[in-house]
Amino acid sequence: MGMTNCFAILGLSESLTLDPGDIESSWQAATREEHPDSSPGTEENRAAELNQARATLSLPVERLGHWLQLKLGEFEPNRSIDPELMDLFASIHSALESADSVISRHQKSTTALTKALLAKEAVNAQLAIQEQMAGIHSLKQSIIDSFPDLEKAGESGDFEEAKRNLGQLKFLTKWEQQCQSRLLSLLEC
Amino acid sequence: MNEELIIGIDLGTTNSLVGVVDSGFPIILADSDGERLTPSVVTYRSEGSIATGREAVRLQQLEPERTVSSVKRFIGRPYDHLSTEEIESSDYTVQPTPSGGINIAFGEDHSVSPIEVSSEILNHLKQVAETALEHEVSRAVVTVPAYFSNSQREATKAAAEAVGLTVERILNEPTAAALAYGLDKLDDEQTVAVYDLGGGTFDLSILQMKEGLFEVISTAGDTRLGGDDLDLAIATAIQGRLGIENLSTAESSRLRAAAREAKEALSSADTHTIRLPFFRDTESYELELTQEEVEALMQPVIDRTRSICQRAFAEAKNKGAGSIDHLILVGGSTRIPLVRRSIEEWFEITPNLSQHPDEAVALGAAIQAGILCGRVREVLLVDVTPLSLGIETFGGLMNVIIPRNSTIPARAGELFTNAVANQESMAIRVLQGEREMARDNWLLGEIDVPFTPGPKGSARVGVQFAIDQNGILEVLSRNTATGEDHVLEIRNSAVDVDDASVERMVSESIDHAFDDMNERIWTEARMKSEELLPAVDSALELVGDKLPDDEVDRIREAAAKVKALLESDLKDAAALKQANHTLDEATQTLAALLVEAAFE
Repeated sequence: MGMTNCFAILGLSESLTLDPGDIESSWQAATREEHPDSSPGTEENRAAELNQARATLSLPVERLGHWLQLKLGEFEPNRSIDPELMDLFASIHSALESADSVISRHQKSTTALTKALLAKEAVNAQLAIQEQMAGIHSLKQSIIDSFPDLEKAGESGDFEEAKRNLGQLKFLTKWEQQCQSRLLSLLEC
Repeated sequence: MNEELIIGIDLGTTNSLVGVVDSGFPIILADSDGERLTPSVVTYRSEGSIATGREAVRLQQLEPERTVSSVKRFIGRPYDHLSTEEIESSDYTVQPTPSGGINIAFGEDHSVSPIEVSSEILNHLKQVAETALEHEVSRAVVTVPAYFSNSQREATKAAAEAVGLTVERILNEPTAAALAYGLDKLDDEQTVAVYDLGGGTFDLSILQMKEGLFEVISTAGDTRLGGDDLDLAIATAIQGRLGIENLSTAESSRLRAAAREAKEALSSADTHTIRLPFFRDTESYELELTQEEVEALMQPVIDRTRSICQRAFAEAKNKGAGSIDHLILVGGSTRIPLVRRSIEEWFEITPNLSQHPDEAVALGAAIQAGILCGRVREVLLVDVTPLSLGIETFGGLMNVIIPRNSTIPARAGELFTNAVANQESMAIRVLQGEREMARDNWLLGEIDVPFTPGPKGSARVGVQFAIDQNGILEVLSRNTATGEDHVLEIRNSAVDVDDASVERMVSESIDHAFDDMNERIWTEARMKSEELLPAVDSALELVGDKLPDDEVDRIREAAAKVKALLESDLKDAAALKQANHTLDEATQTLAALLVEAAFE
């Protein structure tokens, strides 16, 4: 199986610093043109390919991973964790745990009264998660801000920094998703 | 593309409609009586014939146990997903099939599947269309709640195909409503949310409309939340207030009809008198209800839509959608003023009432049908999958392969390899849902990935999971050595139409069903009591001083009754359930005080 090039599928330049608006408008134009519902006879496969390309390029972590894959082929991921991330992880972990504890007790309760008894704790858990998300967000943003530098280093064949950042970004994205899912569950409390 | 006509069908929990595009405009087709709505009700008469629609509604009082309404709640679901309440609150008997699906039984020797009941309704709509259009119809777009799972979609498709309708698209209801809303606004650019609260299901979808492209950004919902739940809440309260115990099927059916009537009347009037003449033998009942009282009963059910909306809003925001320009209401239950007021209060947006609550979805289905047969141009709809798709991995966890709210068609691949030498195949459990543990999600079925014999790690099979535009899954395997693709069968029980040879096993299990049911109700009631009693104590200690003395007394009295029934050797499940309910109601203000205190 040849490697798909998401940038090429959407007719975009192979760049890390794509504008989200450009990704959207390329996807929209291609979808109008090639969607089987509007152009009878086109394959559903093509629409799926366009959707997959957009999904990959829209997320910074996926875009960086895909870009590296195109440049390097299969590569050994960098699994080191920055000390800054280690510290963050410890506090995220405890926020997630207390959220989980409220959520699970809330799910087990079947009456408005027992649920109401958990309200205070739920509000506090929500605040704690939001605080963690702010921390995640700022670290994530600083990595995204470094994309032009990563691209420049890549031009001279140096992908080490990009690989290291990909690893960090993967952790941050995962934690962000975990926090988001807890936050959504806490909405129900 | 075929120019042959395609009809659009809204297969609703309470009512169904059929429409078509005529000279560029969607219209709803009326039956020979001039009616556009067909009640989604089927009666399997004791004399053997089958009645559908309004005729079945007329027969409901005569043959409540043989009349099937709201069957959409059961289609494509496994029996063990049902709550006791869902099983109990139906007038007809709901049973497990030997393979874990659901059957509706009329006595010992006659049962039908939810798919078969839905087929009757679809067949009726097909005939309505054929009579109105004066020619045969064989292709359809059928709508389903956006939050329907793969199995529920497949079952709906199977129901249509069984009556000779080729399903050209399974379309999500809120998306259909958005098409109806946006057809005359193709030049506008807007972000809209569709709040669709029907008879049995709730969905909220957020779409971006731009130059004829309708793109769904996110969707969330609950396939067990709708007008039926409001009726049930009101009926339970009426029963409690009138002090009637041990309802027969016919009585509970009448009570629910009265509750629904009160709900509908109180959408415009301030008071409504429920009259139940000769309800039990010569006993007649009368009860006056105010809009305020009924709204208090409905509020907890309507509140459940709030966090679902917040979910969809949050995900749309994550995907970069702008603020909502219009929030469109559809579905019969959005006629209730409390729904409209709650939405305004929660989201500070005035709901858009431009769409006909009962007809918008069918009009949208007709429009999509028009797109697919070339009668509507310049419009394109792109939807998302409502639930994450994944597989069970080591340790019983769910590994997401296609996340929820991915644009469909979507596909994603995984590579599998043999864990031991000469392994012939590997069984993979395919799941849908948002929970971390595999067992908490829907099991769509199992697939077998075949391996070419060889040493450990030598076989490599790529498996592609594809969700098509109907939201239905297909799994393909590709042998990387040969490059050959083939479709893997997904073994699933809940969609199976039942095999007559296993009927006998079913009737054997019926004999125990009643005992089981009673035990199940007692256990659930007992657990609820054990949860409530300590909670009452803690809550009174925390905020009891803010309550008037007589209210505290009322709560203590209700709690004492629960305690007495719980400790009694009689194990009266119905009485305990009723006592729990009374205590639940008595503590409403107390619960509200606690929530208020939490935000201080």
